[in-house]
Amino acid sequence: MINIPYYFQYYVAGLSVMSLYSAAIFIGFDIYEEAEHGVFEYLLSLPVSRKQLVLGRSIGGGLRSFIYVGPLIAISLYVIGAINPFSFLVTLFALFLFSFGVSGMSITIAVLIKSSDRFDIFMGVLDALIVRLSTAMYPLAYVQQANPLYGWIASFNPVTFAADLFRWGTGIEKIMTLQNPLLPFLGVVAFFGLFTLFGVTIYERMIEGGGWQ
Amino acid sequence: MVEHDFRNFFRYKWWLVGLISMNLADLFIMAIVYNIILEPSLSQQIGGYFKFFAPGLAVTGLFASAFMIGREINMERRREVHHYMLSLPMTRIELAVGRVLSGGLRGMVYMSPLLATCFIFLGLPNVWQFLLILAVLFLLAIGISGLSITIAVSTSSLEKFITARGLVYYTLFFCSSVFYPLSLIEELGRDGKFPAILVTLAEVNPLSTASDMIRNFLLGYPPFSFVSLIGVVAFSVLFTFAAAFGYMKIIERQ
Repeated sequence: MINIPYYFQYYVAGLSVMSLYSAAIFIGFDIYEEAEHGVFEYLLSLPVSRKQLVLGRSIGGGLRSFIYVGPLIAISLYVIGAINPFSFLVTLFALFLFSFGVSGMSITIAVLIKSSDRFDIFMGVLDALIVRLSTAMYPLAYVQQANPLYGWIASFNPVTFAADLFRWGTGIEKIMTLQNPLLPFLGVVAFFGLFTLFGVTIYERMIEGGGWQ
Repeated sequence: MVEHDFRNFFRYKWWLVGLISMNLADLFIMAIVYNIILEPSLSQQIGGYFKFFAPGLAVTGLFASAFMIGREINMERRREVHHYMLSLPMTRIELAVGRVLSGGLRGMVYMSPLLATCFIFLGLPNVWQFLLILAVLFLLAIGISGLSITIAVSTSSLEKFITARGLVYYTLFFCSSVFYPLSLIEELGRDGKFPAILVTLAEVNPLSTASDMIRNFLLGYPPFSFVSLIGVVAFSVLFTFAAAFGYMKIIERQ
């Protein structure tokens, strides 16, 4: 049906990254839950700085999404067949940074939007665009062929970086679409750095004086 | 009752805009890329994935919006809003059938821009075909609304409702011809790559019937038989009764 060799394995690898992205987004919904139930005041009263609080939330959100998606990653590896241990460790580290970055992005957007309904809508639209305009479901060459603009967006998409790195990490030549892993790795590091920095700055500003309400 | 539910529906107008954007992203990004990826023989057979998927997308939108009524009823049940509903000057059966009908009508309203997009890109059906498409989609919407209410009154929390919705969604959509041709599922079944029970489910699935009927009218394939509409009618009747019965039971419970 699909004109790509080993598309099943290719798609399974992308599915793990899509699930990781969706699971990491959930931390944003927790922010609203906490604000609604008064847990936010308790968190603010803890003997930790604001920076530590937001960093902890990003890392916590990233880690729990990893635990959630862990079984799926294991199944993906089983389906794909084999892994290159060194490449896979590098990839795993990059995927951790990716999920922390997505959590940071979710927290940043949640504290900026302030309404759980609007957040739900915005994240739904963002999810639809960020996943479809990436290489999670299809190789970059086809996205570029479909529309050069789509291809250009997909080239700078963190989901593309993570999906391509995951496939590279398996070391299975037939599903690899990546020659040089350094660029997507740097892309994931930049994504993590940007949203952690943004997250810390915006979180610090928004929570003072009840600004998060 | 219908007016009440429509007012609620339009309270979520931005949510609907978001949902339509997601559906259109599926059509204008994913379907266009799959147009290129498909094997040329299959692509030629179905006239391109974009055209194949457009009717399926209208059915996807119909399902998502008609299912929303269940979420509201689940919430009303937890917040005990049904006391207000019971105080309204109407019988229990009017109340229950009104909820099912309004859920279905909301699905039709939401689906209409997606169906219009489908007509724009695939061409227009004749008047009788158009009326039949509307009638079948309305029956389907009522069935989905009934299914959603049946699940809503059988689940005690929002999490359970959302989990059940996910299960129903994935079973009904992936065992249907919404995303891929029914002939392909049948071929996989014959090769032993797809369980026979799921192949049968895909064949009798009302979502397959509705998608394939629109495709037949607009694209000339796959073959369509009026007998297949019996499944849509049965689905609609079954879940309208199940929802009405379940809803009446739950609102009268202390």
